[in-house]
Amino acid sequence: MSHSDLYVEVDRSAYTNALAKASPVTKTFFSISALIICVSALSLHSFIVPIIIFITCSFLTLTIAKVKLHLYLDLFLYPTFMVTLSCIFLALFFGSGDSLIQIPLPWTTWTIYKGGISTAINTFFSVEGSLSCLFFLVLTTSITDLSLILKRIHVPTVLVELSLLIYRYIFMFMEISHQMSTAQKLRLGGRGWLKKIRDTALLVGNLFIRTLEQGERVFVAMNARGYDGNIYVLEDFPKPKKTILATIVLFDIFLIIMIFLTTNIGVIAYAV
Amino acid sequence: MLFKVDNLTHQYSDGTLAINNLSLTFDKGERIAMLGTNGSGKTTLLNHFNGILKPTSGTIYFEDKPLEYNTKALLNLRKRVGFVFQDPNDQLFAPTVKQDVAFGPLNLGYPQEQVTKLVNEALTIVGMNEYIDKPPHFLSGGQKKRVALAGILAMQPEVIIMDEPTSSLDPIATSDILHLLLKLNKEKGITLVLATHDVDIVPLFANKLYILNKGKIVSEGTPKTSFSNTELIRKVNLRSPRIAHLFEVLKKENNLPITDELPLTISEARKEILRLIDQAVKEAKKEQTQY
Repeated sequence: MSHSDLYVEVDRSAYTNALAKASPVTKTFFSISALIICVSALSLHSFIVPIIIFITCSFLTLTIAKVKLHLYLDLFLYPTFMVTLSCIFLALFFGSGDSLIQIPLPWTTWTIYKGGISTAINTFFSVEGSLSCLFFLVLTTSITDLSLILKRIHVPTVLVELSLLIYRYIFMFMEISHQMSTAQKLRLGGRGWLKKIRDTALLVGNLFIRTLEQGERVFVAMNARGYDGNIYVLEDFPKPKKTILATIVLFDIFLIIMIFLTTNIGVIAYAV
Repeated sequence: MLFKVDNLTHQYSDGTLAINNLSLTFDKGERIAMLGTNGSGKTTLLNHFNGILKPTSGTIYFEDKPLEYNTKALLNLRKRVGFVFQDPNDQLFAPTVKQDVAFGPLNLGYPQEQVTKLVNEALTIVGMNEYIDKPPHFLSGGQKKRVALAGILAMQPEVIIMDEPTSSLDPIATSDILHLLLKLNKEKGITLVLATHDVDIVPLFANKLYILNKGKIVSEGTPKTSFSNTELIRKVNLRSPRIAHLFEVLKKENNLPITDELPLTISEARKEILRLIDQAVKEAKKEQTQY
C-alpha cells in the first residue's frame, strides 16, 4: 500500500486491534525490554534469541492482537530489503580472522571471512527482531496512550504535546493533499513530465496554506473548549496486571540466559 | 439580560468591516436565530459571544458585566457559553470520540472519573454512545456534528452557540439535530443561538429572529413578524420559507384573503388553508341562499 496509506493503517490498527484496551504500561514494558535484549544479543553474538523475540512478538501482534498480516508484512518490506542488502555486503566484504573462501581476482584476492558471515546473520536477525518489538508496540498502542507513558517517564511536557500535535497535523496534511491531488487529477492535471512538476509545485504551495488555515481553525476550536496549553488525555485503560508483568520479567530473564547459552553459535561453524 | 451587545463594530486586519455598529440583547432560555447571507457578519458576531474575537469598538455584556479577555475570565466564560463550529472537522481533533468529548471537561480540571461520566452522559444525549471508541474520521457528517455537540454538552454550558448547525446535513440529520436542540432548551433551559442561512428551519426553532445584512441588523422580532416583511427579505438577498412564499404569491397574484402574518410552517399552512376553504364555503352558501 502507498506510504500515506500505511500511516493511516498503522494509526487505525492502534485503535482497532484486540489489545487496544490493554494497559500501555504492560505493552511498552514488554516491547522496550525485548528491544533492549534484542540489540544486546547482537554484541553478544547470538542470533537465536532475536529469532525467539521475533516469533514471540509476531505471535502477539498477529494472533493475540489480531493485526492484519497484510499490514504487518507491508511494514517489514522496506526495512527488510535494506537490511538484507546491508547484510549481503557485510557477509561478502567484512570481517577478519578465519576465512571461508578465497576468490582470486585480477587485482587482489577476495576473501570471505567466517566472521563476516556470522556478523551478517546476527545483524539480520537482530534487526528483524528489534523491528518486531517496535511494530508490536506501534500497532497495538495509540499515540495518546504512548504520550501518557512518555509523560510518566518525565519526558518534558512540551515535547510530548508537540509530538501529539505534529502527529495530528501529518494526517491533516495527508488528507488535504489527497483531496487537492484528486481535484487536480480530475481536471486532468499532471500529464507530461514538466507539467507534473509544475502541478506538484502548485499543490505543495497551496497545501501549506490550506493546512495552516485549518490548523488555525482547529486551534480556535480548541480554545473555545478551554485549551490552556496542556493537552490532558483521558486515561481509560486498566492498571497493568501484576501477573502479566511478572511473566514479562520471567520471559526477559529467560531471554538473557538464552543469550549466554547460544552465544557464538555460527551457522558457519556447523557447515564446515 | 443574559447577553447585551452594545454598539459593536468589528474590523478585520484586511480592512473588511464585518460588523458595523450593531446592538442587540437576549435573555436566558430564548432560542435566537441569526439569519443572513454569507458575509453578512453572522460568524463574526457569534465569535464575539465567547471571546474568540474582541470588538474593534463597542462592548459585549454577559450577565450585565462587560467581558474580560484574560485567560481565567475566558475559561469561565467558555465553560458557560459553548460554541459549536460550522465544520466539525475543525473541532474534532482527538483520536477517538471518547477522547474528543473528554477534551472540554478535562480542560475545566474535572477529575478523571467525573469526566468519564460527563462523556457518557453527553454521548447518550446525542445518541452516539455506540461510537464512543471510534476515531472521528470514520463518522459521517451528521454523526460528526453530533459528536461536536456532545463535546460542548459535556462541559454543561448554559448557552450553546451554533454556527450553521444544519449545513451539509441530510434532511433526517437536520430534523434530528433540531429536535435535540429544542429538547435541550425545554428540559435544561439552555439558551440557544443559531447562525444560519437555511431559512426553512428558522420558524421551526426560533422564538426570536435577527436578520443581518452587511454587518448591521436590519430586522428584529419573531419569525412570524420578520418573514412577513417579504420586501426586506428579498432586499438582503434571502428568500422566504417556501410556505410563506407560496402564501405571498396566493395573496398578491390571486388576491386570496390571507392573514397579514404569513404562515411559516406546514401546520400553520394547513390551518390557514382550512380557514380559507371554510370561509369560501360559507360565502358560497350565503350566495346560494340569496338567490
